[in-house]
Amino acid sequence: MTTASPLASLAGVTKIYGDGDTQVTALADADLSIYPGEILLIEGPSGSGKTTLISILGLLMRPTRGDVFIRGERVSALRERDLPPIRAGAFGFVFQGFNLFPALTAQENVAIAIKMKQPRARNADAEARRLLAAVGLANRMHHKPADLSGGQKQRVAIARALAGDPAIIVGDEPTAALDTKTALDVMALLRSLASEHGRAVVVVTHDPRLERFADRVARVEDGRVIAVDTIAHPHAA
Amino acid sequence: MWTLARKILLHDRIKFTVAAAGVSISVMLVLVQIGLYLGFMQNASNLIDHSTADVWVTGEGSENFDFSAPIDERAFYKVASTPGVARAERMLLGFGQFRLADGGTQGVQVIGLDPGARLLRPWHVVAGDVRRLGEPGAIVTDITEAPKLKVHRVGERREIFGARAEVVALTSGIRSFTTSPFVWTDLDSARAYTLYPADRFNFVMVEAAPGVSPEVLARRLSALPNLDAYTTPQMSARAQHYWSARTGVGAGFFTTAALGIIVGLVVVGQILYNGTLEHLKEYGTLKAMGARNSAILRVIVYQALISALVGFVLGGGLALLAQHAMVAANLTVKLTPALVVGTAILTAVMCCAAALLSVVKVLRLDPASVFKG
Repeated sequence: MTTASPLASLAGVTKIYGDGDTQVTALADADLSIYPGEILLIEGPSGSGKTTLISILGLLMRPTRGDVFIRGERVSALRERDLPPIRAGAFGFVFQGFNLFPALTAQENVAIAIKMKQPRARNADAEARRLLAAVGLANRMHHKPADLSGGQKQRVAIARALAGDPAIIVGDEPTAALDTKTALDVMALLRSLASEHGRAVVVVTHDPRLERFADRVARVEDGRVIAVDTIAHPHAA
Repeated sequence: MWTLARKILLHDRIKFTVAAAGVSISVMLVLVQIGLYLGFMQNASNLIDHSTADVWVTGEGSENFDFSAPIDERAFYKVASTPGVARAERMLLGFGQFRLADGGTQGVQVIGLDPGARLLRPWHVVAGDVRRLGEPGAIVTDITEAPKLKVHRVGERREIFGARAEVVALTSGIRSFTTSPFVWTDLDSARAYTLYPADRFNFVMVEAAPGVSPEVLARRLSALPNLDAYTTPQMSARAQHYWSARTGVGAGFFTTAALGIIVGLVVVGQILYNGTLEHLKEYGTLKAMGARNSAILRVIVYQALISALVGFVLGGGLALLAQHAMVAANLTVKLTPALVVGTAILTAVMCCAAALLSVVKVLRLDPASVFKG
């Protein structure tokens, strides 16, 4: 894994909120690289800096110090308005709360993300159907979120995250709202997306059961990446 | 994007119904109030606009068409003999008391015309023979004023200020701004009906000789002592302007129309803003995934335009119903193409302005907020 070039890297990243007496260092001097085909879990207690880390990694937040690289290009110095196209090409996001439009069907939720990422896309509906079929929802395309189970909603969210074929999927507690079996199914799906398509999947979680799907685990405490462990049997699910 | 906008908007039917109702009421108020205003203004210059005169001459300093200062025969001859005047006709416009069949009285606005007048004649004649208007005591009334005058057919006889009057023709839809019904008659009868002295009247209507500009002729006639002269469009504008600006009538109508716009603005703004707040996480997710602000803003503006379209269609329908209902009350709601198109544009602008708060919210939306639970 370390022989491949990283898809994304953080180098000496520090994030400080506030100023003066109210300064809080959320992340200190973090180094982390994400490689193609791997699942990287980010674990740590609440308030440890996990969310700040993936926000900076996903180009949603600027570091106070340090650099962010995407496919070797230093992007932390780019202007704010230059970031959306880089995010559109590099990242898909999956959230605990799904964040699906309740008024839209599964297919429309995915298609709208395709259209927003690629305004000139002409085959957004066909592409949305393909992505939903790829996550096992071929028979639920015309259902609205209210008519889907939690696991199915998360699969729609994963299909949406795949819109525009991003290199990295970032998941913020994507299994926290799911029962055990569904959570494991979702992780298996993310595992296959990483293994079969060479994407990187970065998942923030509190759930140690997910480690069986992971290649590495980054442990964060008090704003520091204290360890990055390689999992011995990553595909044992 | 239209699909997304429409589905988000229609997802909560009750909220959308409230938004559509707000826009509809706003549109209806604007159309009806300005339509009523235009109807009143049409009545204010009705006679002038239907004349074929090029220039109107009146007593110096007369501001109000309906209460114009009397002028005398010498003025008429001076006007008629001015170079460039091809034809001049006198007109008297005064008030009289019309004796009703049941013994009561009704104030009327008497229009006295020269015998054989060509520059202004009753129009929309629906019964009788308007050519008999030159006969002494012959009058023409309007059938839509029948509830006031109790005159329903040709041949009925009445008195105006004690002088005999016989209805020789009926028109339809010619109403005055003052709400006193028009009574058309010849110049001499008009003087009897309004108690004007024998040589007095109010206006000289002038037809310009071929090749003579009405503007030039009006300037020439204005140079005559104690007279003012205006081209017909100028005279029409003056008649409307007096009632609109000097009496506050215009301000009243436009204030109500403005209130309608404010109501629409607040209702639509509130609904769109709430809708944006409800979908902030979804919009944030799209922004996080690289959607540009412009793409999301388009969805919000499309929602505003859909609200505008639905509200305009419903409000327009309500305005047409109001127009129909007001005919019975003798009120004209004049829905001109310019008013309808203008209101449509105003509605779209109003709804887009109402979306501004939502737009600001989305512009300020930090995509990293999607990680904040």
